[in-house]
Amino acid sequence: MTRLSGGLIDRSRSLTFTFDGKTYQGHAGDTLASALLANDVRLMGRSFKYHRPRGVIASGSEEPNALVELRGGAWQEPNTRATVAELFDGLAARSQNKVGSLGFDLLAVNDLLSPFFSAGFYYKTFMWPRAFWEKLYEPAIRRAAGLGSLTHEPDPDAYDAGFLHCDLLVIGGGAAGLTAALTAARAGAQVILADEDFRLGGRLLAESAPLDRPATDWIAGIEAEFAGLPNLRVMRRTTVWGAFDHGIYGAVERVSDHLASPGKRVRQTLWRITTKRAILASGATERHIPFADNDRPGVMLSGAMRAYANRWAVSPAKRVAIFTNNDDGHRTARDLLAKGVEIAAVIDPRPAASGAGYRTIQGHVTGTKGRLGLSRIEVTANGRSEWIDCGALGVSGGWNPNIQIASHHRGRPVWHDGLQAFVAGPGGPVGLIPAGATSGQSSTAQALVSGAKAAQAALADLGITATLPDLPQAEDQALNLKPLWHVPGKSRAWVDFQNDVTVKDIKLAYQENMRPVEHLKRWTTLGMATDQGKTSNVTGLAVMAELTGQSIQSTGTTIFRPPYTPVALSVLGGGDTGTHFRPRRLTPTHDWASRQGAVFVEVGQWMRAQYFPRAGETTWRQTVDREVLATRTGVGICDVTTLGKIDVQGADAGEFLDRVYCNAMKSLKVGMVRYGLMLREDGFAWDDGTCARLAETQYVVTTTTANAGTIYRHLEFCRQCLWPELDVQLISTTDAWAQLSVAGPNARKLLQRVVDGFDLSNESFPFMACANLTVCGGLRARLFRISFSGELAYEIAVPARYGNALIERLIDIGADLGATPYGTETLGVLRIEKGHAAGNELNGQTTAQMLGMGRMVSTKKDSIGAVLSRREGLVAERRVLVGLQPVDASQPVVAGSHLFAEGAAQDTASDQGWITSACYSPHVGSAIGLGYLDNGDAQLGEQIVAANPLQAQQVVLRVVSPHFVDPEGGRVRD
Amino acid sequence: MTELKPICALGGAEPASRRIGALSLREDAGLGLASLALRAGAPAPALGLVLPGPGGWAEGAGLAAFWTGAGQWMLEFPGGAGRDLAAELAGPGLSVTEQTDGFTAFEIQGPAAELVALLEKLVNVDARRFGPGSATRTGFHHMSVFVIRRAPDRLAVLGMRSAAGTIWHALVEAAERQEVPA
Repeated sequence: MTRLSGGLIDRSRSLTFTFDGKTYQGHAGDTLASALLANDVRLMGRSFKYHRPRGVIASGSEEPNALVELRGGAWQEPNTRATVAELFDGLAARSQNKVGSLGFDLLAVNDLLSPFFSAGFYYKTFMWPRAFWEKLYEPAIRRAAGLGSLTHEPDPDAYDAGFLHCDLLVIGGGAAGLTAALTAARAGAQVILADEDFRLGGRLLAESAPLDRPATDWIAGIEAEFAGLPNLRVMRRTTVWGAFDHGIYGAVERVSDHLASPGKRVRQTLWRITTKRAILASGATERHIPFADNDRPGVMLSGAMRAYANRWAVSPAKRVAIFTNNDDGHRTARDLLAKGVEIAAVIDPRPAASGAGYRTIQGHVTGTKGRLGLSRIEVTANGRSEWIDCGALGVSGGWNPNIQIASHHRGRPVWHDGLQAFVAGPGGPVGLIPAGATSGQSSTAQALVSGAKAAQAALADLGITATLPDLPQAEDQALNLKPLWHVPGKSRAWVDFQNDVTVKDIKLAYQENMRPVEHLKRWTTLGMATDQGKTSNVTGLAVMAELTGQSIQSTGTTIFRPPYTPVALSVLGGGDTGTHFRPRRLTPTHDWASRQGAVFVEVGQWMRAQYFPRAGETTWRQTVDREVLATRTGVGICDVTTLGKIDVQGADAGEFLDRVYCNAMKSLKVGMVRYGLMLREDGFAWDDGTCARLAETQYVVTTTTANAGTIYRHLEFCRQCLWPELDVQLISTTDAWAQLSVAGPNARKLLQRVVDGFDLSNESFPFMACANLTVCGGLRARLFRISFSGELAYEIAVPARYGNALIERLIDIGADLGATPYGTETLGVLRIEKGHAAGNELNGQTTAQMLGMGRMVSTKKDSIGAVLSRREGLVAERRVLVGLQPVDASQPVVAGSHLFAEGAAQDTASDQGWITSACYSPHVGSAIGLGYLDNGDAQLGEQIVAANPLQAQQVVLRVVSPHFVDPEGGRVRD
Repeated sequence: MTELKPICALGGAEPASRRIGALSLREDAGLGLASLALRAGAPAPALGLVLPGPGGWAEGAGLAAFWTGAGQWMLEFPGGAGRDLAAELAGPGLSVTEQTDGFTAFEIQGPAAELVALLEKLVNVDARRFGPGSATRTGFHHMSVFVIRRAPDRLAVLGMRSAAGTIWHALVEAAERQEVPA
């Protein structure tokens, strides 16, 4: 164990965990990374491409190396950063991206082959033979170069989603975030403070004496005050991962990831936070200095080394060295020295830099040794090199403000020469103010003041006056940084640890003219790993700037997209899976249909009865054939509630409908129904349905099931925006009425048994009539004499809660009439047999003329789409809807097949149309279809070939009328 | 009175209800609903309450109303599901549409703090500012619902009747998760 004194771990609570099957002990307050270091485990993973041994280099969410798989079975999650995995009793972690053991990874052979894997290698190699890419090269590359593995099992965890609103969102709970939240909350604003850590304090927890009093005491005092402020919500373990439009931020709260037994708790919650202002106090990330072989386990960021010592009471080794170009590295040396860690040397290239109690060398680190972990470093000073024994090396090249979220709206960071770092530039999320280290304030004192002032300014914008709180005295040391972006040398020096990008790769990109930052990124994959280059981007850009001789500012930087840190897809889904993945709408007769053993089909969000199998029927076709024949010979009943219904009222209702339908509706008589066709603005057919006039100023419009929502929205747009002068009111009534189609020669007889004294005779209630009436002893209902099947048919509507009882009643009392329920399959067969267009025919490419309804587009009035329906291209359209029937009745008709003249080449040039709908017709005794055919009217009776190249099918069809049933239309009028 | 027996939106003969910790959830199958829209130039009818403005819900004797659009309201009649509301309310200058069966109503009761916490998980409204007398139409699990704060301790969610099962599931799940001890 390499535990030190002090720290913020609870030594009274020991936790047992495993890593690669071996059992270890840690303490409450540890992360997996700190606990592994405390157990002298420096080797935590293998690198992405070369499978080099890797250890932890950071102590926070920026960690690129120490990625592990946590948990097991279906719960297994890959690519978890050991630095943010909160330790709990029983935690099981495994290393990843290896073949064999972590200590002996067979794929480490890649490292020997590294000359072949330089930047852009996959753009240059594996080009031939082309067919090998998908089957051989890509799988092999994915196997060799990868991260963790997926279980391929459904995620068994539960996830949640929620919505929060506030005046001020403070992102980050370090020095600046705490004073910002305190300032704003004391002023009475609604404040949310979110921090990704499980403990508030940020870097205050990582420093030995940042304040004039113990930092934990000051934090505890603030937390106590926070607890008494109802207008402040503190969200620990919550990562704000993205800024979106209109002050919306995405955040993931890790509710139970840290619990050994989560019980019924969700794993994570996705929060959508809407805020008027936000303060980005996400701190800064230390950058390293690339030098030869700088990736051995034990080489880490100096600030992380200090954090492990101060917060987690652990040192990665008993003897360590520091390589720094600024005063922060010396702070690490001092802190570790104070805790009894031997400082082998501090290597600092700045002249006259030194510290008390340890050896300082003005030079550079130029090499390392140690097979699975650092054992020695090579230090070069004044042209002479020496090897120094040490088990760990802390590296500090300065700090990069964490401005990722500030660039989520394409805000482009700008280079700050004084800070030698990129800071947030203009164009970022409106209302987002960087504070503390994020704004380049490098000392604790500056951060404390900066957070409070940022909050004061943000609230002033909102008209809220805030007073700056009394702040403790804090360290206020400058970094005194002298830029050092890499140590020149011949060996590989890593810039991006996670994607195995070296200084050499950047040089190669430069030589191959991939110099713009976006090209550099894609050619080398710099910054493209799961860490988004938090520890590497700026260093890589600086190396490129050095090569091109340009400034870093003119070299520029890539920008960032959400998420700030990886977010599980499951939590983005908000927890809705399986049957609850989307709303499930049930028809009013669903219960009854279920009891009849109906098979259901998803139609959009609706579950509709597809068919009603009976005992002895072994295929769906048998069932559907029976239902079709029962309807055509007796009476069939189908729930058609899903069709959209819109109540249209007002003095100008008729005029309004005249403008949205291509045919006339104002002239419709009260008590009558008319088929209606709506066109899009471009003149193509959009949706069809019926329009019933129930009263002088009241119509009920129906739409197709698929377009119920869009047509209603369209009509509201027309009403509110196009013609606000019209006196018309709209409201959807789709769900309010259970509507049943009652079709077949016995339909009238059956309905006569339920209507209350209503005369259904042809004379009193003819085809296309409608009426309000009552049924079954006083139940208010609506009756429409309309037919989709070509039979004598009605649609009867009752309040939805009675739909179940009504269909049960109709089937019961209609047994002697052959009353038979039917589903959507039979509905389809009946309408194809009758030649009625449906969704397949109204696919957005069809015109009224193609549907045989060209003359419906009234020229006596204007309506949406009417003018453009008469444009040259549409008028010249020669394809029309026809019926199709196989010459050999045993042959199939397949929807989607294209139509060609017999003997003609089957290519686009000779294509004559396609089959839109097809079914087996028990009425005809063969398969039949509907389709659009060039000059179809003139081809009636002729033969044509339907080609289905996907299944190498060729079927000779006869072109017939689309009306296979009762072409004269006598039945519907009987 | 019809001899047909109605069923509730959730499919039962009786309305569903659940007690989950401090929260009680209840399907209100008896709520009568009618939409009211004023025709051009028509004054608001005398209903015994002042029709509320945007975002508002108001309660009168035997009825309540919430704003749904410019010159439009939904009228609620507790226990009025069996009435012919469209006929009762019809009048000059008014467009009234029966909506009782268009929606399913779920009433949620519990301590105010619990309701605020629940709201945060249900819909994207500022729960703390959505006080008694508030009503809004908003997205809920990919659906559109009306949410009404009837009182500090009472909340209602009205959604498509056809999606009653989905809405109920989402409400129950949210309540159950809220009641899991921290």
